[in-house]
Amino acid sequence: MDPSEERPDPDTILKEIQAEPDNKQGKLKIFFGYAAGVGKTYAMLDEAQERYRSGTDVLVGYIEPHTRPETMQLLHGLPALPPKIVRYRNIELREFDLDAALRRRPGLILVDELAHTNAEGVRNRKRFQDIEELLNEGIDVYTTVNVQHMESLNDAVERITKVRVQETVPDSIFDRADRIKLIDIEPDELLRRFQEGKIYRPDRAETAVRHFFTKENLRLLRELAMRKAADRISNENLNEPHLSKKMENAKMLVCIGPSPSSAKCIRWTARTAEAFHAQWAALYVESMESDFLSKDQKKMIRANMDLAEKLGAEVVTLTGHDVSVSVAEYARLSGITNIVVGKSRNKKTLKTLFEPAFEDKLISLLPGIEIHIIPDSAAARKYKKPRKTSRGPNFNFSRKDTVRMFGVLAATILFSYLLRSLGFADSNLIMVYILSVLVVSRITEGYAYGIIASVVSVLSFNFFFTEPYFTFNAIQPEYPITFLIMLMAALITSALTVRVKAQARLAVRRERRTEVLYEINKKLLATRGMDRIVDLTNEYLVNLFGRSVVFFTEDPVERVTGSVRRAAGDVDAAFFHSEDERAVAHWVFLNQKRAGAGTDTLMGAGAFYMPIIAQGKVLAVWGISCAKGVLDHNTRLFLRMIGSQAAMALERQHLSDEQRNIVVEAEKEKMRGNLLRAISHDLRTPLSGILGASSAIRENGRNLDGPTRDKLIADIQEESQWLIRMVENLLSVTRINEGKTKVAKKPEAAEEVIAAAVSRIKKRFPKRSILVHVPDELLEVPMDGTLIEQVLMNLLDNALKFSPNDSSVEVSLRKEGAQALFEVADRGKGITAEEFPYLFTGNFPGTKSPDSSRGMGIGLSICMTIIKAHNGKMEAVNRKEGGAVFRFALPLKEGD
Amino acid sequence: MELKPLVLIVEDEDTICNFMTAILNSNGYRVLKTDSGGEGLAMTASYSPDVVLLDLGLPDIDGIDVLKKLRKWTKTPVVVVSARGQEQEKVEALDLGADDYIVKPFGTSELLARIRTALRHSPKSMGAESKGKDQFAVGDLKIDYGRRTVSLAGDTVHLTPVEYKILALLSKNAGKVLTHDYIIKEIWGPYSSDSHTLRVNMANLRRKIEKNPGEPNYILTEVGVGYRMAEELT
Repeated sequence: MDPSEERPDPDTILKEIQAEPDNKQGKLKIFFGYAAGVGKTYAMLDEAQERYRSGTDVLVGYIEPHTRPETMQLLHGLPALPPKIVRYRNIELREFDLDAALRRRPGLILVDELAHTNAEGVRNRKRFQDIEELLNEGIDVYTTVNVQHMESLNDAVERITKVRVQETVPDSIFDRADRIKLIDIEPDELLRRFQEGKIYRPDRAETAVRHFFTKENLRLLRELAMRKAADRISNENLNEPHLSKKMENAKMLVCIGPSPSSAKCIRWTARTAEAFHAQWAALYVESMESDFLSKDQKKMIRANMDLAEKLGAEVVTLTGHDVSVSVAEYARLSGITNIVVGKSRNKKTLKTLFEPAFEDKLISLLPGIEIHIIPDSAAARKYKKPRKTSRGPNFNFSRKDTVRMFGVLAATILFSYLLRSLGFADSNLIMVYILSVLVVSRITEGYAYGIIASVVSVLSFNFFFTEPYFTFNAIQPEYPITFLIMLMAALITSALTVRVKAQARLAVRRERRTEVLYEINKKLLATRGMDRIVDLTNEYLVNLFGRSVVFFTEDPVERVTGSVRRAAGDVDAAFFHSEDERAVAHWVFLNQKRAGAGTDTLMGAGAFYMPIIAQGKVLAVWGISCAKGVLDHNTRLFLRMIGSQAAMALERQHLSDEQRNIVVEAEKEKMRGNLLRAISHDLRTPLSGILGASSAIRENGRNLDGPTRDKLIADIQEESQWLIRMVENLLSVTRINEGKTKVAKKPEAAEEVIAAAVSRIKKRFPKRSILVHVPDELLEVPMDGTLIEQVLMNLLDNALKFSPNDSSVEVSLRKEGAQALFEVADRGKGITAEEFPYLFTGNFPGTKSPDSSRGMGIGLSICMTIIKAHNGKMEAVNRKEGGAVFRFALPLKEGD
Repeated sequence: MELKPLVLIVEDEDTICNFMTAILNSNGYRVLKTDSGGEGLAMTASYSPDVVLLDLGLPDIDGIDVLKKLRKWTKTPVVVVSARGQEQEKVEALDLGADDYIVKPFGTSELLARIRTALRHSPKSMGAESKGKDQFAVGDLKIDYGRRTVSLAGDTVHLTPVEYKILALLSKNAGKVLTHDYIIKEIWGPYSSDSHTLRVNMANLRRKIEKNPGEPNYILTEVGVGYRMAEELT
């Protein structure tokens, strides 16, 4: 048919090649200013106009509608994207329409206000996430941002302006920008603009804003902005070779706590680490006390961890009783050079007098490490220490424990009475009392019962066993000492017991996690095959978290569905198959980031999705149902640990699949090569015959007598027929190879196929007799009829050729079990012992002349290929009475 | 003098064209040749040939499209020339109204037989010969359409109504290949597509009229395409 349809157009290929580098990542340019009104948007539009005139496909994605008229004039002529109207609590909000922009795919898009927070109901929470998506799609982006929105400078700005900026962008996007353009004007000029009402329309010039626009503030902000821009330039100039060895190895660690001042420490560490080009980690130590933190505090910890992660830290959670010991251990193991801790000035209490401060402990544990102490800011001082406000589970009361305590105490009193009536000394009774406190601490939860039991013991000892009896008076002067010692002994034992119990609990929890991880790791190592890996991890996730899960090993673009497992008691896992949920998973695949419930992206989803990444490639995506509530940080962390195990397993699987494909491909290539070699050899002989005979007739036609010429023409005909049969055989092989390995099977009546083959072969051998036996019962066999006809013709052809002319060849068909058995038998000389091993391989190594086996070897090897592709079996045997039988069996039922 | 039948060959390969022309000329046909589908359509309109030999692989228009366009306005017999192994293409061509097909490479006798059959079934000759014909005979097999009886060497053969319908359909189109789909639609109606039933009926029919169903004389199988009733015994 038309050859140009199949051949790709070279021009399109060239275009594709040229387009490829652009496809990878868009370029980001940030117009950076120190305050509103410096002219960022103006500069951005100005430059966009220039690019537009020089032929770039510029699109205005979003410009704040209250932009100044001079700036709005610059929009003239540029194609603009209509904003997306989002209705939120009856207010119409105008938002940047990300999906429309992605569909439109401009070369360069302008999106104002990088730090903007999107309205609810839009895919991403933050505009910078929209911009990251655009960049990932290979679209260049121009955007604007002010210095006070930089995450790492957040508290520095707060110090200057006394206003806390809520909308921040992570520094990573600033660092990612290919170009930063600092837009700068004199603060005096800016103030003049402000007073003229050019920056905010008079109605918007609120007092807060007025406070912000003071000369002092503007100067400081300007300095910050310039320094930030300068830092970036010096970063670019100072490439790795210039760094000293020490700096290269610097690794910082910041300790996170539930206090809001932690955020300040995190930001400080981020800035410092960036300045030193150092790696840094954020560490949170989960201790006994973390069990009874209030909800707000837990939320604060999570926020702090998210902040650290956003700023580029490696976030680590450890469990341990003593925070300083855990921190020191981690620092020593991971080669930390600097530790950052926050410190607030607490009032001296009795406890702090005896207990060394946290930083002092650290210094004594880690003499070689620098410790940076960040003082708590004024804003945070209002914050109360958690232990004073919250009553944790250590001070919880339950009826069961109260009953137990009083039971034990009553038993003690009775037992002491018994001892006393038997004449034992008081010292023994005291021992019994201390034992009872120990028992109470052991069998109840928390400190409270131990303490109460201590006090009650002392009081009851006083009441029952000191003179005067049944009063709280004590006559003997040594009693108060006894009481005091008894109380202290009881308190200490109870505190010790509680601590031992808590440690045991923590150890068990830690042990359990390690055990699970180890178990998963071990099982994954032993698991082969994608499906099994998926099943195994799904099973573990469901058992561990009690939530339904979904596992996508392929990007769910079209009709690909993940493997789902439903947890008992969770919602029906079928919701994972909905279009929306799959869209979230698709997003995760593309952007290599977590999304869904509890994250900043697509938070409306019903599940939390995280990518399993290895070597920068997303291997799979997990979804964990959040119908029971958003996942907490610990769960996410644990998930990530399991994720890295799964990533290893998946990667190994990918590698081994690839390896196997390469082997199969090589095997196929080898087969193809062998076949080609054998065929070219075989084709040459008849072609030379045809060429010779035809040229003899053309050139010497007149000199040839009639019979000679007829003989030559008959030769040409015979050789061509042989060639055609050969080509048909080859075509059948390509028919198999074209599809994967299977043939397209359709039920055919076996007798009809035999009849067709016999009638065709009879045309070639009109004088020979062929006997056909078919059963009375109709046998329908799933097959590619043309190919089986080909097999039968090859077998018949061989049988007729290798048997005497006066003998007949028999074809028979019968049913054997679940198979249809075809047989072609001749009365020739049979197959020699040397030929047997090479019968179906296509080449006889022993034969000297290729002519002798011409066609037969390849014909049979092709038969074998066809039968194998039908999942059938083929064999050849010699008949006792002389001659050979070739038989093949095809399954009657489709299936394997 | 009887007018020699006119054959239009639409074929782009010269060698094949040459030898077909040689065979047809020496067997009493007049031949027109073209190597493009567009020209083939135009020539069919202007010369009104008795048979068109249409190659499916043409340089300008796909042979199937040429066939579709032809069938919009003419019933001139079309014999499709195609390569082996492309059963799907043949079935498509037949279902679109081709009268028959011939597989490359083919011999002289095969080509002449196909053209003879096509001419016999052409609308021009139909009026004279086969219409109103109430009997069919080949070898020992005789079918009387009026009395709906079938006999083999004088002995009556008992057929079920469906078997008779199949046999009558094939015999009325003797020499022509009928696709599975066509037969099923003719016998069981337009909504049926069960080829299993057809195969079972065909197997039973063969056991009644053929000496050896594995070596049929009357109803021949074209694997992957359909069935053909023999016009004469070979």
